[in-house]
Amino acid sequence: MPLNSIYRFRLSLIPGGLLSILLLFLAFAIFFILFSNIDNKDFFSSIITSRIFDLVRFTVYQALLSTLFSILLGTVLAWALTHQNSFKSRSYLIALLSSSLILPTLIVVFGIITVLGQNGWLNRALLYLFDYSFENSIYGLSGILIAHVYLNASFVARSLLHVFESIPKERYKLAKSLNFSTIQRFRYIEFPAIKLSLRSISSTIFLLCFTSFAIVLTLGGSPSYNTLEVAIYEAIKIDFDIPLALKLAFIQLSITIVLVFLSANFKVGISDIKTSTQKIPWLETKKLRILQISIILFSSILFILPLVSILIDGLGANFIKIFSDIVFIESFITSLIIASISSILTVLFALLISDTRRNFNINHRIKKTKFRSFINMIIAFSGNIYLAIPSLILGLGFFLLSLKFEAPLSYWAFGSVLCANILMSLPFALSILYPPMANVAQRYDKLSFSLNLKGSKRWLYCEWPYIKSSVLYVFALSFCLSLGDLGVIALFGSDEISTLPWYLYNLMGSYQTKDAAGVALILLILTLSVFIFLPRIFTRKKDV
Amino acid sequence: MFNISNLKYTYKENEIKNDYNFSLNVKQSEIVGIIGQSGSGKSTLLDLLAGFLAPISGNITFNDIDITTLNTENRPLTILFQKYNTFEHLSVIKNVLLGINTSFKVKEEEIKEAMIILKEVGLDGFEDKLASTLSGGQSQRVALARCLIRKKPILLLDEPFTGLDSNTKEKMLELVKEITEKLKLYTIMVTHDLSDCEKIANRVYKVENGKTSIFKFV
Repeated sequence: MPLNSIYRFRLSLIPGGLLSILLLFLAFAIFFILFSNIDNKDFFSSIITSRIFDLVRFTVYQALLSTLFSILLGTVLAWALTHQNSFKSRSYLIALLSSSLILPTLIVVFGIITVLGQNGWLNRALLYLFDYSFENSIYGLSGILIAHVYLNASFVARSLLHVFESIPKERYKLAKSLNFSTIQRFRYIEFPAIKLSLRSISSTIFLLCFTSFAIVLTLGGSPSYNTLEVAIYEAIKIDFDIPLALKLAFIQLSITIVLVFLSANFKVGISDIKTSTQKIPWLETKKLRILQISIILFSSILFILPLVSILIDGLGANFIKIFSDIVFIESFITSLIIASISSILTVLFALLISDTRRNFNINHRIKKTKFRSFINMIIAFSGNIYLAIPSLILGLGFFLLSLKFEAPLSYWAFGSVLCANILMSLPFALSILYPPMANVAQRYDKLSFSLNLKGSKRWLYCEWPYIKSSVLYVFALSFCLSLGDLGVIALFGSDEISTLPWYLYNLMGSYQTKDAAGVALILLILTLSVFIFLPRIFTRKKDV
Repeated sequence: MFNISNLKYTYKENEIKNDYNFSLNVKQSEIVGIIGQSGSGKSTLLDLLAGFLAPISGNITFNDIDITTLNTENRPLTILFQKYNTFEHLSVIKNVLLGINTSFKVKEEEIKEAMIILKEVGLDGFEDKLASTLSGGQSQRVALARCLIRKKPILLLDEPFTGLDSNTKEKMLELVKEITEKLKLYTIMVTHDLSDCEKIANRVYKVENGKTSIFKFV
């Protein structure tokens, strides 16, 4: 039996293949449920009202601005960190930037309000020092933009830093020998290197901001600052206007699907958290050094201050009161259970799909044909399609199902949140796990076959050692994403079932700021501990 | 005698069809060199011999037994690849032992045997080191030790010394020659460097346009 015989790979074809079919079927079922509820008569004639047009316009506008500012700040910070790579706390700052992807959005919102709110640290300091305070409220477009930039600029910086650092040092030497200025260095050496990544990062950020929910819900302030996502939530939860929710979902989905199709190359994860401290052979001028240090200082303050504010305000909370609240205990346990199950299943699904997909992408496994490329595309699409389905729309699908099939609401809520968390994390998990798994197959297939390493032995000797740190990273990432999610639970959250973010949101909504600060601190510590410490268990060896 | 006769294979890439037709033979204690430019089909030939690819027609026989349809693991051969020969997270001895025992329990006599072979390839005292700490030359020695412990009569070398410094390469070539003669192996060495063949090969075949032809006798 030759190496490229399908019989050899039958076991890796079936589970992932079936799972891909199931994921596609589920996406199709959600579309079907959503659009079978549409009343055809007036749906298309009334779809573009001035209210809906305003919603679309603001959603696109805030996403565009957020993307632009995030890219600008993130690129400048990555550039400064590349050229200033020897200061002591650099690795901590980079770890913090890497964590931004998993920080629960509500924590960020809470931190931003504590620092920049009407009674925030900045205003109080200004009042104390200069007898002056900002009149403008943090609620509205400015708040939305600040929170989006906070979360996404750090993601940009972390991703681009990796690209900057992979520029061969010889290029810098060549540029120096040609007497390039700093601008020419950027134009001819650095920009061409980051150009491709910038495109994929921009599309990712635009999509994330376009479908942003918790930030707009908490910082939007008034209906004029609503996005499609929040309008869907309000239509279901407040007005119980399902036809309107369906109209908005239709528009939202149409746009996100076009976006996902147009940008096939989304950047949805930072798989390598290590950075280089190798010196760039280019001595910066004093002015440039001051500029770069200033950028790093400013960004550090911007990123650290909201977290420090949560720490300080949180420490002042009455933890005995928090821990004796039965709703808190229930929310805490529910969050942990959902996060644990969803992250285990996300890892399992990503492993199975990646295992199947690599058969269709490696020449020595299945012969390269148009059919093989098509199957490869379908398998990749089955996981990534959920980038195009915002969590609120998934929630709406489950909500409509819950109206048709009667069961206790808490069952529906638990199942829907669990399912949504898995599906939301899956594109991230696939983008991180697939490359090392494909590398292992590329490198060790022939050796494994010649040594007759099969099944569990192949897994233990040849697969697990090379992918274990990526697996743990995916587990930690999906655990944290699940722990901080305020999407579907916003539709299903009730007295019967609550998660930590939903509990925190209710505390913030009822102005119990002290308790909210304590809960935010607990959520922050939990998230950062899982994200930072878990992947380090197996980081002694580097993945391929 | 290890005999390959009219082994045909077709490969299509970017609408261009590549036809291969290989014939060659190897005698006991002999090293046969295979040379050819990149893309000439050297690796395809080795993949066919190893059983990684299935030929359209033709035969591979070893001592008059047809092995053309046998699985890689059941063929009387062992392979030293150009790279990724070792599992870096495993110790040197575990890498060698994988050649005869892939289970998690290893017998005492197997360890003894592996130690003898490690000494033979010049890695005495390296048994407990992690493969990731070895140099390129040492890694290839580990892989060679694993090939030897398998006690298969045919040794296939797929450009195994590319990237090694000239001194290490020289020593490795000597080692291959010595082992082939001592263990009476049938060795096929694919290389793009004619000087490697000149040093140790008894005969050399050239692969050109998908066909093998005798290049020169050393």
